[in-house]
Amino acid sequence: MFIKKVNYLYKFLIIFSLILPINSSRAEFFKDISNIITINESRLSYGVSVTDINADGNNEFIVTGFGYPNLALGYIDGKLKNIIQEDVFLDRDRKTIGVAACDIDKDGFEEIYFLNTDTYSGTKKYSDRLIDKSNNNYFDLFELEKNIENLNLTAGRSVVCVDRKGDGEYGIYVANYGGPTRFYEIENNTITDKAKTLNLDKVTGGRAVVSGHILTDRADIFAANERGANFLLKNNDGKFEDVAFDYRVDDVIQNGRGTALSDIYYRGRLDILSGNWNGYHRAYVLENKEFKDIGNKAFDRPSRIRTIISADFDNDGFDEVFMNNIAEPNKLFKINENGKFEEIKLKAALETQGFGTGAAVADIDNDGILELLVSHGESKAQPLTLYKAKVEKNNKYLRIKPINKFGAPARGATVTLISNQRKHSKTIDAGSGYLCQMEPVAHYGIRKNEKDFRIEVKWTNGKKDFTDKIEINQTITIKQK
Amino acid sequence: MKKILVKCLLLLAILFQIEVIAEEKNYHKELITDWSRIFPDKNRNAAGPKFFKYIIDKENTYKDFIEYNKLFCAVSGSLIDPDSDSEFLFLKESKSNNKICGNYYRCCVPCSCDVMKYSEVQKMKYKFIDGSREFYVITIKNPCNKNDFPNRVNKEYFCDGKKINNDQVYNLNNRIVIGLLHNGRTCKNDDIDLVKNHQITGRYCELRNNTPLEELDAGMGDIFIKLAR
Repeated sequence: MFIKKVNYLYKFLIIFSLILPINSSRAEFFKDISNIITINESRLSYGVSVTDINADGNNEFIVTGFGYPNLALGYIDGKLKNIIQEDVFLDRDRKTIGVAACDIDKDGFEEIYFLNTDTYSGTKKYSDRLIDKSNNNYFDLFELEKNIENLNLTAGRSVVCVDRKGDGEYGIYVANYGGPTRFYEIENNTITDKAKTLNLDKVTGGRAVVSGHILTDRADIFAANERGANFLLKNNDGKFEDVAFDYRVDDVIQNGRGTALSDIYYRGRLDILSGNWNGYHRAYVLENKEFKDIGNKAFDRPSRIRTIISADFDNDGFDEVFMNNIAEPNKLFKINENGKFEEIKLKAALETQGFGTGAAVADIDNDGILELLVSHGESKAQPLTLYKAKVEKNNKYLRIKPINKFGAPARGATVTLISNQRKHSKTIDAGSGYLCQMEPVAHYGIRKNEKDFRIEVKWTNGKKDFTDKIEINQTITIKQK
Repeated sequence: MKKILVKCLLLLAILFQIEVIAEEKNYHKELITDWSRIFPDKNRNAAGPKFFKYIIDKENTYKDFIEYNKLFCAVSGSLIDPDSDSEFLFLKESKSNNKICGNYYRCCVPCSCDVMKYSEVQKMKYKFIDGSREFYVITIKNPCNKNDFPNRVNKEYFCDGKKINNDQVYNLNNRIVIGLLHNGRTCKNDDIDLVKNHQITGRYCELRNNTPLEELDAGMGDIFIKLAR
């Protein structure tokens, strides 16, 4: 009798354990590879960007320093090493938080905008830097006499690159805090703030900002703000109109922090992820001219969020959403079909004691798997951390790198992978998360039994190019004609 | 017998999963999402009636209606954190002058005193998607004739000229409904003793409600008093 009861108990436990994994997903998603970062001392860092700063064809992580040197971490001989030593780039004395790179002068090289802030709100003492390169020397465009009258002397947070006219000439949207938003472009060889002319010079608590094909075939902007409504800036022939209220993304009594564009439904359009500081996180999908928040209870649970990233870390063909929280454990969700968020319990990258302030992804070692670099700081100096997903042997990838007609990464363009299983759009990141910017590559993992691949690139001018007969496990560079 | 037992266990396990997976409605999140719809001019001073009207106009079950009404302060118009405690208090019923006891969800202590002094309750019947229910609502008299209508309150929310604006707020017998008295019922003697001897609804409210208005400087309730007195 007793043995029979034990048998029943076993059966029950087997059945129960078969069903249990529906909710509690796999363990050990990431492995910690921080040991490959050389000279990884405790420091105060914020935003991280990814660009090819030395124009060698490989991207580097650009890590800001807040009273610490800015870094350009390149992958050399299996290690991540700082490759820039010039003072104007390192800028040890300034407090840099936001960073984004893009080609503002149409020479194919991405200038780097460093947003410095030495006060929480309002007027600041030290201005921002816009780093360019000439004859292998880095210099600050803002230090040129002709540009001094347009310095940004307002506290700010994030920056994003915007090709508002779709002609490859990028401008930089600077999300200021307690002062007007700025929008820098080069006009007559001079850096000019065009925010007022473009209806962008609003005063708010600017926090996070993204740009891409959100509503139109041109670069639209979504800005997640604090102590004020978010902006959804619709591009009307290069000028902007705030339609956040109409599209229901104004979220006026929450405090925006991190944001990213993501094709949440795998339907070939970019929707919006918006993380709110100690508030409900949003997964906005456009339905009938309004954005609807489809985040479930696990996803929207309030946290001390900073950066939010949408990327396929484990190359299974489904994107994950990484939420970087400060002084609170990080979170990871898989976006399943129909926008169902499934929490993946983290061990590595959980960082229960981590003071995360920024994060970015890039395939820095060119092995077809993304690396995740997390920066830390604010109230505690901590080293950088680097993670990589434990990828199943059979998982494959496809990476698409669109280059515009000037030879620069086409930030703000949209790449769509079309196959027998999905129509999956990704933005070529113009700036996202909180204070950060991801690699300018659309990275796809490949699903089981997926075939018939076709790639669509929607450039920043709205025109589309298609590429067929795609072989997987490679990075394809597509040049704008 | 064995098969039946295994099937039962399987069913139990599935039911457990369904319960875990099922998404509960997040009332607080919905109010946050729609806040700019409820208050297009961003002024929520004393605008509890706007919340009440917004909630009752939704397609609700009775449970939804109850839960939504726990999440704003009828006096100040502030949102209240989920799982906040309520105050047990009594209010005068308009028709009978009886004391009606119940629970009031408030943002801060002074609002409990203000609602007790300056508002009344009425019984209201309403048809929800799961049937008709009766409950007590908290009301204030029509403020639209006031010469000293408080300037920090958006008059258009409440008034259409000298009449109550029925498009913006809920009008019950020419009084504005500002919120719900939860678990409302005729007070027993013990209930009244409990309220009168309570640290807040007793001693503190007596002090507050005997302080001249010009000397009150606590909370948004002061604006409400000017509206409701």
